[in-house]
Amino acid sequence: MKEQLFNFAINKPKWVFGLVLTFSLICGGLIFNIQIDTDPENMLPSDQPERVFHNQVKEQFQLHDMIVVGLVTNNKSSVYQPETLKSIATLSQEIEKINGVIALDLMSLQSVDNITQDNGALRFEWLMRSAPDSIAGSEQIKAAVDRLPLFRNTLVSADDNAAAIYVPIKDKDESYRISKEIESLISQLESEEDFHITGLPVAEDTFGFEMFVQMGISAPLAAAMIFVLLFVFFRNLKFIAAPMIIAMATVIIIMGLMIGMGFTVHIMSSMIPIFLMPIAVVDSVHIMSEFADKFKHNSNKQLVIKQVVNALYKPMLFTSLTSAVGFASLMLTPIPPVQVFGAFVAVGILLAFILTIIFLPAYLMSLKDDALKSLSKVQTTASKLETVLPKIGKISFGYAKWLVAGFVLLVALSAWGISKIEINDNPTRWFKSDHKIRVADQVLNQHFAGTYDAYLVLQTDLEAERSNLDEIIKANGVAINQELPLGTMINEALQKLEEELFEKGDDQKIENAIESLEQLKTNVALFQNPENLKAVELVQQALIDTGLVGKTMSLADAVKTVTRELKSGDDKDYRLPRSQSGVAEALLQYQSSHRPHDLWHLTSKDYASTVIWLQMKSGDNQDMTRIVEAMQEYFDKNPLPENISAKWAGKTYLNKVWQDEMVQGMLTSLLSAFAVVFIMMVLLFRSVWLGLIAMLPLTITITAIYGLIGWMGKDYDMPIAVLSALTLGLSVDFAIHFVQRSRDLYKSTGSVSKAFSLMFKEPATAISRNAIVIAIGFTPLLVAPLMPYVTVGFFLATIMAVSAVVTLFLLPICLKARGGKLL
Amino acid sequence: MKLIIKLVTIFSLMGMATGKTLDANNKVMQIVKDAYQACYYAGDDAQRKARMQIIDSKGEKQLRQFNIFKKDVVDGGNQDFLVVFEKPSDVKNMVFLVNKKVEAEDERWLYFPGLDLDKRVAASDKRTSFVGSDYYYEDISGRNINLDKFELINETDKEYQIKATPKDPSQVEFSYYKMVIDKSTMLPMSMEYFKGEALYRKAEILEVKNVDGYPTVFKSKISNFESGSHTLVQFRAPNYNIGLAADLFTERSLRNPPASLFKK
Repeated sequence: MKEQLFNFAINKPKWVFGLVLTFSLICGGLIFNIQIDTDPENMLPSDQPERVFHNQVKEQFQLHDMIVVGLVTNNKSSVYQPETLKSIATLSQEIEKINGVIALDLMSLQSVDNITQDNGALRFEWLMRSAPDSIAGSEQIKAAVDRLPLFRNTLVSADDNAAAIYVPIKDKDESYRISKEIESLISQLESEEDFHITGLPVAEDTFGFEMFVQMGISAPLAAAMIFVLLFVFFRNLKFIAAPMIIAMATVIIIMGLMIGMGFTVHIMSSMIPIFLMPIAVVDSVHIMSEFADKFKHNSNKQLVIKQVVNALYKPMLFTSLTSAVGFASLMLTPIPPVQVFGAFVAVGILLAFILTIIFLPAYLMSLKDDALKSLSKVQTTASKLETVLPKIGKISFGYAKWLVAGFVLLVALSAWGISKIEINDNPTRWFKSDHKIRVADQVLNQHFAGTYDAYLVLQTDLEAERSNLDEIIKANGVAINQELPLGTMINEALQKLEEELFEKGDDQKIENAIESLEQLKTNVALFQNPENLKAVELVQQALIDTGLVGKTMSLADAVKTVTRELKSGDDKDYRLPRSQSGVAEALLQYQSSHRPHDLWHLTSKDYASTVIWLQMKSGDNQDMTRIVEAMQEYFDKNPLPENISAKWAGKTYLNKVWQDEMVQGMLTSLLSAFAVVFIMMVLLFRSVWLGLIAMLPLTITITAIYGLIGWMGKDYDMPIAVLSALTLGLSVDFAIHFVQRSRDLYKSTGSVSKAFSLMFKEPATAISRNAIVIAIGFTPLLVAPLMPYVTVGFFLATIMAVSAVVTLFLLPICLKARGGKLL
Repeated sequence: MKLIIKLVTIFSLMGMATGKTLDANNKVMQIVKDAYQACYYAGDDAQRKARMQIIDSKGEKQLRQFNIFKKDVVDGGNQDFLVVFEKPSDVKNMVFLVNKKVEAEDERWLYFPGLDLDKRVAASDKRTSFVGSDYYYEDISGRNINLDKFELINETDKEYQIKATPKDPSQVEFSYYKMVIDKSTMLPMSMEYFKGEALYRKAEILEVKNVDGYPTVFKSKISNFESGSHTLVQFRAPNYNIGLAADLFTERSLRNPPASLFKK
């Protein structure tokens, strides 16, 4: 197999080029079908129970994705000034007209209703249909807002220095465009206030846009950087074009395949090029280093190539297989984008391996001897490495005990660091801290109760009521649509029976059935029952008591507000009515406004379930987790009324769910990959000891990387989690090469000391070159505006440095132990 | 001389034009008044039962059922309405009273038995939802005829088409509405409300029957195209000229509307 491939490559280079070009063109063409997906919701499979429930809740309560537009006054003045209010009113009216905005549900001072008292009479009116022209008029609006718990600290901040417009949108994929249109409306306002646009959909969609840009900038920049570094090492453009072509072809074919197979490009998969490029380059650099070295002594190109490929085939195959296993293990994580990422990187690694052993020989064969001549001069340029490395060999043996102690200390410190790791993620934090979305997030959360939302849904299974309804309709021969919500089914049955009764004029049986249905309706309307609303109030208080929730809104708040105005208008009447019909009356009045539909964001139409809105200042998964746990504790101590259960929904909550699954999944992935790689090492070296030694660099590197993350106080988030696979893949690469080559050299020289002095020439140079190329090659990622890219860039360099150091310093000591018996 | 003839011609043409406009204006006002008469002033007093279904864009249904009583204080002028709720049963006996005044602000009252409370409703925007339906309070008691400018835009054998534009656009959410009035009954069979040039709301009469010589609406519908919801109302057991007492329509009777008035 190896021979056939090799001969094919050597003898038919044009065929090889043609094949690579054809595949690249076909797959390259598929890339144009790219579909970007930045929705963190897709971190969960579409049938994941929490996600399904979240979407049911969104649908049932018509909870749209929202863009939050915040206005903050300069020098801490109040927003209740005619000029400022005018800006809000104008902006709000203009935003309503934007295509894709759900005008009906837009919330701003301009679009909502006020319920108030006018000389003892009840008054419904727009809160601020048009901006007042006097300070007194502005003060009236302040007085009104301060009395409306649903709006205070939501539409205007508690300190009065900021106001917000909540813009519901039809499609969250349009939020970037809509936010741009809002920005242009703001610039036309000529207002002196600061405006901020935030909200998870904007963050996500903006991220998608910038991710796309980064794919076009960061990856090519990294490629260019690697190219420059390779040139520094080899000083031969034609020579170093080969790894670049291999890397490009690998990336293009894999991305094309992925997109062509209908997978969306998620934040994870957008990083596939960045992960594949170093891995693809690493294999080539091993071959090229060896080739350049041997070519100096022997100018028979074909023979040299054959020797090099023969020497490197086994370690390269194994490094590729182990790296592929590392990434394929990500498929054990129950997060679809991570699975896709792992699968395609794994395939990409194998593709890079095949390209390296086919394309590289073919390419080298097709180069004229003249073109390779300059390689003989590489000696001088690479001489620095080659003079330094043998010294390392000496140091390594000379200070063996100290070095081992040092590494033990490093592992101990790292283990300590790992214990400090905070598992946390927040899609807003995927932007750098000076990004305008982060700034908006920070400023608005300073003023308001919070821009992150979650929902606590209180509901009941309604099974008893459902079977009760079934009995009644069966007994009376009523046919109704069984697909509808229970309340609507009861209403349909009622309506049909009423019609029957009207036609018959008089029928006791039907009248009884109608009465039973009316009673059933009252029973179903759990949250018109004051006792249950009281429970809602207590849950709200418990939420506030966690200290992590800025504000809650519920049906109880709406009922209390209306009741107050129906009664005296005084604070003493801000309370729940005593009877269910009192609540029903207050709610019917709530619906006598300009925005009756607002009620259905708080309760189902049959009042059988209700949703408590949470506004939180933090979108961190950790904080959400704390709230969920605190509430679980609360419910354990203070059970909800019989048959009522509480369930979470909302984007911030979903983020917490996938974070939990990811951490657990990544741990499984890492451990299983670790086990598989170890078995492969043992099989490769046919020695448990060598297998263990080969695992050292990756073990120490992973420990050190995560220890560093712990010490740096960097949250363990999605990109960090995925780095474990990369570490595993790249560190094992160095180890395999080092162990395998040491072994070969020991066999050919028969002497441990000779073997290691040779090891620190070409093989160590190849490892060091690789480490340097990858580490420095990815520094352009450090200036990317998106944090996951920065993180990957930084840790890629660290992984390279640590694993190269461990390989070069520690492995010789271990291998040399017991006088080379291990080899 | 020529100039004088010209001027005379111009002035007389102008005069004719003005006269014509006035005539047209009188005509359209008469049509609208007749429509109001047919719609709101049939009989000196009247009673009927209304069953309302509010159906949202997802097909979810809510029901309301109430009795409506009305009495004209002046035919074609001030009148009183009393709306007594029967269903949903938890708002049974809730009452809404309107003393409608053409030349002044209406007086409106609400009674809440569950809260044991009667409350005057301040004169304010009447284009708010009537108990959560797609009807506005104004649709129940009739929009004041003096608030709009009317224009006859088309006339056929069977109907008048009239465009109404609010005199004070800041007070309403629509920019104009179009009415189609049936010549035989003078009932406004459809009213289409526009925001800008976009149709956003439509009121229709779906079924009319003759009761005691009065064309009487038995079924009507209002659709809101913005929210995707619509409200259907069926009217039953209409009765005219039953001699309702004037004191039925006062604050005092809110808590105890005479039981004899309620039929199944």
